[in-house]
Amino acid sequence: MGLEARRHLVIAGAIWAVASALGIAAVLAVGRILPVVASREAGIVDGAFVLLTAVSVPVLMLVVVGLVYSAIRFRARPGEDGEGDGPPIHGHRALEVGWLVVTLGLVGFLALYGSIGLIEIRGGERHDLRVEATALQWQWRFAYPDLGITSKELVVPVGERIQVTITSRDVVHSFSVPAFGVKMDAVPGRTTTVTVTPTEIGGYGVQCAELCGFGHTRMTADVAVVSAADFEAWVAQQRQAAQP
Amino acid sequence: MKLVGAERLTTPGLPRAVLGILIGALIGLVPVGLAAAAGLAISPAHLLLFGYLGGLLGWLTGIGAFRFWIAWALGRPIDPAEEHAAHGRAGDRSRYFRFTTDHKVIGLQYLTTFLGLLFVAGTFALLMRLELAAPGQQLLDRDAYNTIMSTHGTLMIFVALNAIVGGLGNYLVPLMIGARDMAFPKLNALSYWLVPPALLVVLLNPLFGGYDTGWTAYPPLSERANLGQQAFVSGFITLGVSSILSAVNFLVTVAGLRAPGMRISRLPIFVWSLVVTTSIVLLATSVVAAGLTMLLFDRLLGTSFFAPAGGGDPILYQHLFWFYSHPAVYIMAVPAFGAILEVAPVFARKPLFAYPLAVASFIAIGILSFMVWAHHMFVSGMADFLHIPIMVTTELISVPTGIVFLSALGTIWLGRIRFASPMLWVFGFLWCFLIGGVTGVYLADVPTNIYLTDSYFVVAHFHYTIVGGMIFGLFAGIYHWFPKFTGRIFDDGWAKAHFWLFFLGFNATFLPMFAAGIEGMRRRVADYPPELGPLNLWISASAFAIAVSMVVFAVGVVRALRSGPVAAANPWRALTLEWQVSSPPPVENFERPPIVTSGPYDYGAPLPGRSGRVPEPVGARR
Repeated sequence: MGLEARRHLVIAGAIWAVASALGIAAVLAVGRILPVVASREAGIVDGAFVLLTAVSVPVLMLVVVGLVYSAIRFRARPGEDGEGDGPPIHGHRALEVGWLVVTLGLVGFLALYGSIGLIEIRGGERHDLRVEATALQWQWRFAYPDLGITSKELVVPVGERIQVTITSRDVVHSFSVPAFGVKMDAVPGRTTTVTVTPTEIGGYGVQCAELCGFGHTRMTADVAVVSAADFEAWVAQQRQAAQP
Repeated sequence: MKLVGAERLTTPGLPRAVLGILIGALIGLVPVGLAAAAGLAISPAHLLLFGYLGGLLGWLTGIGAFRFWIAWALGRPIDPAEEHAAHGRAGDRSRYFRFTTDHKVIGLQYLTTFLGLLFVAGTFALLMRLELAAPGQQLLDRDAYNTIMSTHGTLMIFVALNAIVGGLGNYLVPLMIGARDMAFPKLNALSYWLVPPALLVVLLNPLFGGYDTGWTAYPPLSERANLGQQAFVSGFITLGVSSILSAVNFLVTVAGLRAPGMRISRLPIFVWSLVVTTSIVLLATSVVAAGLTMLLFDRLLGTSFFAPAGGGDPILYQHLFWFYSHPAVYIMAVPAFGAILEVAPVFARKPLFAYPLAVASFIAIGILSFMVWAHHMFVSGMADFLHIPIMVTTELISVPTGIVFLSALGTIWLGRIRFASPMLWVFGFLWCFLIGGVTGVYLADVPTNIYLTDSYFVVAHFHYTIVGGMIFGLFAGIYHWFPKFTGRIFDDGWAKAHFWLFFLGFNATFLPMFAAGIEGMRRRVADYPPELGPLNLWISASAFAIAVSMVVFAVGVVRALRSGPVAAANPWRALTLEWQVSSPPPVENFERPPIVTSGPYDYGAPLPGRSGRVPEPVGARR
């Protein structure tokens, strides 16, 4: 490699290293990407967001620095070398192999990390409370089979592990609660489940995330995460309302 | 010879084709009428199905698609003069509106048809952005919104699948390999003439009540949707047939018609990209056609492939659909990779970096593309054990895709870069596809996918890969080969205005959509919570910058065609074969078959590169 070619690599490499370090530091300083994290599962998803963003910074910078540096330094100047060609480099064995090894290594790491994340999110069958969510054009209905009540909003006690079994009466819908970091399709003829542990008391929303026709846009319902005591009170109130 | 009146309607051509639609549709309706007379219950769906099939055959007969085959089958001699006339004469404008067998004419027919469709589908996008400019209802009710959104998606998918393959591919592949035409010129023309009726029936879907299922047409919703859904299915399957015919043609052409010396190690990278693409088309398209046919059976014949009430499974459809439709993403992207890597060496004045590895990566993409489809279904309720293998294969496909970046960056690095308009699109492509690729990792990773899928993050991501990839590749190619296609030079100022408006407008439109998705905005909605108003207003305003850029492009094309300077054979001093013949090339491409003696990217050879030596075009020594 010529002296000048090496100089270009060193300068661009240094810019890349500094830009990547700054970028990663910025991502870690911000520390959170999801707007609302109200469940154990959303915490895992947010952690994955932060890690993927940190990993993608050097990749992004590699191409951006390569492009910008080339555009500035290797632009043919009129008059000076204006009609000349670049050096006849057809490839570089070590660089090609190195690129393959690094990208394969990254993929291996991401695949392992994603698999662990999936297993963590699913977190086994154990649960404290069962809720049956039924989707139909274009509304949500919730039933609590162990408590014998039904509701148009999803009310759950904080800190308990809730298993939501999801069915559809007509077309494919999707049960999505962004604040909980969960989403699962409601498929006619099948029962699907998600398990979620809410961690923050507050009001959120469930929305249909799979195109389901005319009323898809409006197919939303309220979600409330309440304290154990408030949940007891709400259950009692629902039972009373159901009495004739 | 000037044709008048009845003679126009009896000679193969557009007027007879239009008449053919009417007659064919009427003949198609005869069985339906007989069924009605026999007391069977018939519905508008039957009328549309048989009317469309009859109209399609009438159109093809009218345009003259079958006349040579019919003559051959009946053992009648084919008039060589007629066959020659079907190939077209140079300078005869009418050949673009006829059943013409010249691959260059067919290439430009494809290109203009799908560029026209790009404008139409883009207008639909503007309607969507007008509706979404503010919370609440603006000009579209939710039914109209769903139909516009579905039609926009469907038509743009058609553009992305066909503009480069059908347009640039048909024009360039025979020239690049030193052939006089495609292997099957009549089949090639048939592939093209299947396109207009398919586009027409999809465009007319609002007449049949529209459809509200997007381009994915998931049942059971699509089994209940209006008749517009059937228009979508009919058009989609017709285009599928056209694609399969054209794929066979490309593969045979490259396998059999290469000029002496055009070893596969000397194939231009764009030709390689089409070999891989058309292999995917050939293997995958029939699967989606089967899925859509089963959907049609469910709608028309009362079968229950996908209807749970009769024991069917909606998720089966999703598997069949994505088994084609994810590889289809690579049918769109790989030709763009080919175009980008074809253009980069010419304007960097350096050999294509790591050519063998780039070819290997295309092939690897082609194979892996069949193993990743279920990443569209991580929240579909499919079996849990499928998630991890599909996540691994999805992330694995980023390795060969990364090679495209290595190859492009390696080519540009240490080059003598000319920022002519095609090279701007190369740089634009690398930025946009980088964003598409990096955000794709969030969608491959199951935990983040669960959060992001069906949100605006996905909308932003696939526009970065398909527009940022395919459309940027298309325009790099159009500006690069414009002098070859038209014999005219495109004005640099108009070309650059188009690029910068498009590039900035595109990023201003779609970067904020990632944020909207993370904020929880769902895709395919006609309305959203009021707090997302300012973001959406910004997006809608930016979308109009893209529209303005496309007007600049259209004006630039018209100006260049009317008064652009005449182009030399090889204005960019490129080394591939198509530049060694005149602009535009003669009807027969090459007087004698060229003999290829060196590779397509031997820029800067021999040393030294800094001497300012102009390489002679070594690609074609006659």
